[in-house]
Amino acid sequence: MSVTSEDLLVCTDLRYAYLERFTALDGVSFSVGRGKKVALLGANGCGKSTLLKILDGLLFPDSGGYEAFGQPVTEEDLEDEQFSMGFRSRVGFIFQNSDAQVFSPTVREEIAFGPLQMGIPPERIAERIDDVMEMLDIAHLIDRAPFQLSSGEKKRVAIASVLVMNPEVILFDEPTAALDPRTQQRLVELIAELNQAGKTIVLATHDLDVLDIVADRCLVFSEQHRIVAQDTPERILADRDLLLSVNLVHEHTHSHGGGRPHDHAHDLRHHAGRA
Amino acid sequence: MTVASEALRTPDWLLQGEAGLSPCTRSGKQKRRSFIEKTLNGASNVMRQAMFSEDVAQQHGLLQRIDARVKVVVGLVLLLAVAFVHHIPVLLGMYALTLVMAAVSRLPIGFFIKRVWLFIPIFTGVIVVPATFSFVTPGDIVLPLWSWHGHAVGMTTQGLETAGLLVMRVATSVSLVVLITLTTPWVKLLAGLRALFVPRMFVLIIGMAYRYVFLLLNSVTDMYTARKARTVGNERDTRRDRRFVAATAGALFGKAHALSEEVHMAMTSRGFRGDAKTLGGLRVSGLDVAFALTCVTVAALLLGGDHLLGR
Repeated sequence: MSVTSEDLLVCTDLRYAYLERFTALDGVSFSVGRGKKVALLGANGCGKSTLLKILDGLLFPDSGGYEAFGQPVTEEDLEDEQFSMGFRSRVGFIFQNSDAQVFSPTVREEIAFGPLQMGIPPERIAERIDDVMEMLDIAHLIDRAPFQLSSGEKKRVAIASVLVMNPEVILFDEPTAALDPRTQQRLVELIAELNQAGKTIVLATHDLDVLDIVADRCLVFSEQHRIVAQDTPERILADRDLLLSVNLVHEHTHSHGGGRPHDHAHDLRHHAGRA
Repeated sequence: MTVASEALRTPDWLLQGEAGLSPCTRSGKQKRRSFIEKTLNGASNVMRQAMFSEDVAQQHGLLQRIDARVKVVVGLVLLLAVAFVHHIPVLLGMYALTLVMAAVSRLPIGFFIKRVWLFIPIFTGVIVVPATFSFVTPGDIVLPLWSWHGHAVGMTTQGLETAGLLVMRVATSVSLVVLITLTTPWVKLLAGLRALFVPRMFVLIIGMAYRYVFLLLNSVTDMYTARKARTVGNERDTRRDRRFVAATAGALFGKAHALSEEVHMAMTSRGFRGDAKTLGGLRVSGLDVAFALTCVTVAALLLGGDHLLGR
């Protein structure tokens, strides 16, 4: 694997197992360049979320190395106050489970949490809160409690709570999961816009439909927790055997004359040989 | 299941109709309400109350406009004043003032009175009733009940006065606390506790606990609803029900534990290193100062009046 000076995140032969017995990553190596969008593709349980947590310095690999912004990221390094503040202010992570991420009693406090920890002055925090809420169309939710929010609103609050810190790298874990189509579309457009503004994006997803918008490179994970392919979305989506082998599509997934691979309802009678 | 899998073999009984356990028409015989129904109703009551409290706290009444810290400190001063009053008329006056405050703060008066008086007879009544009898508080018997070795035993004037004083003191104190809690959003009330030097970390933890109570309540509701959906027939098996409750409690604990780990990661991800830093945002205005001065003056006048009435 070749690493260039423009690579922000570099992973070398990462291995991780939960409780030292349930393998999540089995020798994963890749790098992410500044300003790029990278999608992690793979079936449930292949290690995507674990990898994102390692990239955010929340978990640490059993073996292998991880560097961010040219510095190794280890548990000891993150104990250092300056390094921790520098790293945390540069990398933001949007969790799959918004309930875990939206932990404050009100939306206002939630969005203010990150900047408060960073020591940003209160006047600037108030300005930033107003700006991100307006951007994500959630200004009307400012004093609401999380239990009063729908899942789409919670997701937007979670995103606002990370964007308000203005990180350089944004990690998304299944950002479009469990969202209605309109919210999904808005989110996909936002991701593209953030990347155009210079942010580096790494996201884990099953959603093949929006891949060409949210990624310019895909890493495909097998169910054996290794990367089996790295390429552009177009080439990955065109490789049906690859997608079948990693359980990203089903044998009944098909395209209509050059369209994107997809599933839809079909006559089940042919299963029972009664077509 | 591998990608190139064999077709699933659906069991024959699943492809055939099933005779229902009973016809889908009414028999007129009512099912007994089970603990599941009661739990579900209880859970939805909690949610309803929380929503109602939030709505009331957002009204444009007098107390809603007062800074939470001022309300907490003034409330404490008034509670101390109530504790030192020794005459029922003074306490009645203070209680009447709480009703006036409830009215100007747009609290439904019936709801306010019910909230205060619902539990007083149960808790305070149990304590004060013995104190009304002549064998606890000797004095002039106004209600003779029986005779004991030639001596009348019954309720005395002094006993009834003592009981009345205690009940009014409790009612007035509870009214003050209910006024503060109903007119202040829970979050601001927590922030207001900082005025009493409650540690910031404590406030942060309680705030998060409040946030997640509702999430876990949803989980409980889901589990009980799932159980209700699969409960057929009217047979009660107490042992089986107890096992279900225990299993639910265990599952909830596991869920809460897993959630707590994720929440900790989310906090760490945004720079949390153990120091609680929270938003301020509470500002004391002229209205707050005027309100505080008025309440303290009223408390002083009532204590003075109580003193003049003599012990």
